[in-house]
Amino acid sequence: MRKWPLRLAVIAVIAIGIFSFRTLKQEPLYHTQSYVFGTLVDISIYGETEDRAKLLADHVLQDFQALHNQLHAWKPVSKDQASELGTLNIAFASGRKPITISPQLTAILTDAAALSLQSQGLFNPAIGHLISTWGFQRDEFSAVNIDDAAIKALVKIKPGMSDIVIQHNMVYSTNPNVKLDLGGYAKGYALDMAAGYLRQQQVKNALINIGGNIIAIGQHGDKPWRVGIQHPRKPAAIATLALLDGWAIGTSGDYQRYFMLDSKRYCHIIDPRSGYPVQHTQAVTVLIPPQRNAGVLSDVASKPIFIAAAEDKASTAARLGIQYFMVIDQQSNISVSKALAQRLDWLDPEVNNNSHVKLVTLP
Amino acid sequence: MLAGDWLTIILSTIIIAYLFQTLWSHEHAAKVQIRIGNKIHAAYDLNQQRDIIVPGPIGDAMIHIRQGKVRFAKSPCHNQYCVHQGWLTHSGQVAICLPNQISLELIGAQKPYDSLNY
Amino acid sequence: MQIQTNIDDHRIAKLAAFAIALHMIEAVVPSPLPGVKPGIANIVTLYVLLQYDFATAAWVSILRVFASSLLLGQFMSPAFALSLSGALLSLSMLWAAQHLPRRYFSAITLSILAAFAHIAGQLIVVRLWLIPHASVAYLIPIFAVAALFFGFINGLITAKLLYNKTQLPEPDQPAPPLP
Repeated sequence: MRKWPLRLAVIAVIAIGIFSFRTLKQEPLYHTQSYVFGTLVDISIYGETEDRAKLLADHVLQDFQALHNQLHAWKPVSKDQASELGTLNIAFASGRKPITISPQLTAILTDAAALSLQSQGLFNPAIGHLISTWGFQRDEFSAVNIDDAAIKALVKIKPGMSDIVIQHNMVYSTNPNVKLDLGGYAKGYALDMAAGYLRQQQVKNALINIGGNIIAIGQHGDKPWRVGIQHPRKPAAIATLALLDGWAIGTSGDYQRYFMLDSKRYCHIIDPRSGYPVQHTQAVTVLIPPQRNAGVLSDVASKPIFIAAAEDKASTAARLGIQYFMVIDQQSNISVSKALAQRLDWLDPEVNNNSHVKLVTLP
Repeated sequence: MLAGDWLTIILSTIIIAYLFQTLWSHEHAAKVQIRIGNKIHAAYDLNQQRDIIVPGPIGDAMIHIRQGKVRFAKSPCHNQYCVHQGWLTHSGQVAICLPNQISLELIGAQKPYDSLNY
Repeated sequence: MQIQTNIDDHRIAKLAAFAIALHMIEAVVPSPLPGVKPGIANIVTLYVLLQYDFATAAWVSILRVFASSLLLGQFMSPAFALSLSGALLSLSMLWAAQHLPRRYFSAITLSILAAFAHIAGQLIVVRLWLIPHASVAYLIPIFAVAALFFGFINGLITAKLLYNKTQLPEPDQPAPPLP
């Protein structure tokens, strides 16, 4: 009986040892969630030690914060200093005098201009004034009194990317009503930037989610990364799919930023042709295969398809080279391109009954 | 207690630890994980009836947990999107209050996806 | 016609009766978790194995399973299947483990091993027949802990009984003559 305390202690030590071993053998998945870029950023890194993963993720988040400050459409960096984009917008408004911008912003504007052209103007980052009129250039927005006259005036002026002239790093605008808002481009750009950095740092497996836009590197261990697609009207995923190495996915939805007025929904995606928010579509999802600017495309490409009328959506997608896309219209009817349909696993039981799903074949 | 008995007990303990590790690697009790900013604030079992106050940068949010589901009941934010998300019932579902940097996520046995595209 | 019974039969009957009684007592006491029971009737099985032989223990055990289930109105029910499968696997384990050197392994080891085998038998029936669902796997660690814990205690009790037994005469033999 005297020996009992010692023997019990031995068992206790062994048990503690076993359970410590257990915690050490945790899955090597590092996951961090942060509020940067004015939105929720989710970074998962698989296969690195926790310390290294944290270091890498922090670096990525810092880059995001810097980009956010640089490209903010309305918030100044500090009391006296507007963001680089803000400064540019002020210069545009005050006349044709060219100002110097960073090579990074030059590249961004050139790329955005090309995409705007490719989408026949449906993707138009130059309509900042229009967005502001609808009250969406604020952190918190509510119903605005709709000033039809002001809206029509802004539409008539037709601010567009073609009004911007870039020579080396000097920029000016021929149209003082051009106000740049890169909301539909910046998240995608940040994705590409982060993915590039992580790959350069020899990270083999990661998943980056910026405000819903996702890009994948490698896999989740021995199986591919799996992403869910938000149901436009329920707090659940409507479908899931595997996001393979280098692929990116983006969704534009009328449920992300909107306000209700007289029982009508006004979302943040504005049709440059009418000046009014799109009301015929609930969500558009695009899936981009691996390429240099997969992230940018995942952000940019969903907007033109969202804005286009129902009968033009497929041709708009084709024009942008988008093979994998899904449209959910205001009546909750789902159209999916054949290529994407093969990759989706539907979660929503209503959809599984195929009552509202239609397969679209690209022209 | 003989020497062999100790061996039996030790081996049994090792086997049990192994069983827990392999079979219980997924939390099988449904829980909600509440995050404030980039920190995990708390995790609560869903099998209870409970009201929780979560402090965020712009104010306190009220979270309701009822049998198997959770939601934002009250939030100091302007647009109340988080409240409008309604009840979360399945593992993987998320409700976020962006201005207040609070997120609710249901953690269950298996998460159907690693990240949500929205 | 009269069936000839010998002293071994009497012994088995007495021990089986005792085991049945223990089983019935335990059946009345509610357990916090379904399927997790101290299994005190197994003390008898183990005691019999170590005091007499495997055949006797097997008889006692099987008789206990059948008689208890009849008395509890559980014959041929899922509870009976669980009891039987547990007993069968437990006996098989004891048949193998009984040859472990007594110098190093006492009733405690046998009891723990038998307890693990017992829950294994029960979990197999549960998985294959009663709850054919993968989530049964979540029960395994809990049952394993119970097996180790109660196996240890039952083994300790059995060892104590055997130790005391050596000081006492056989119940159905006359007392040794006074010195």
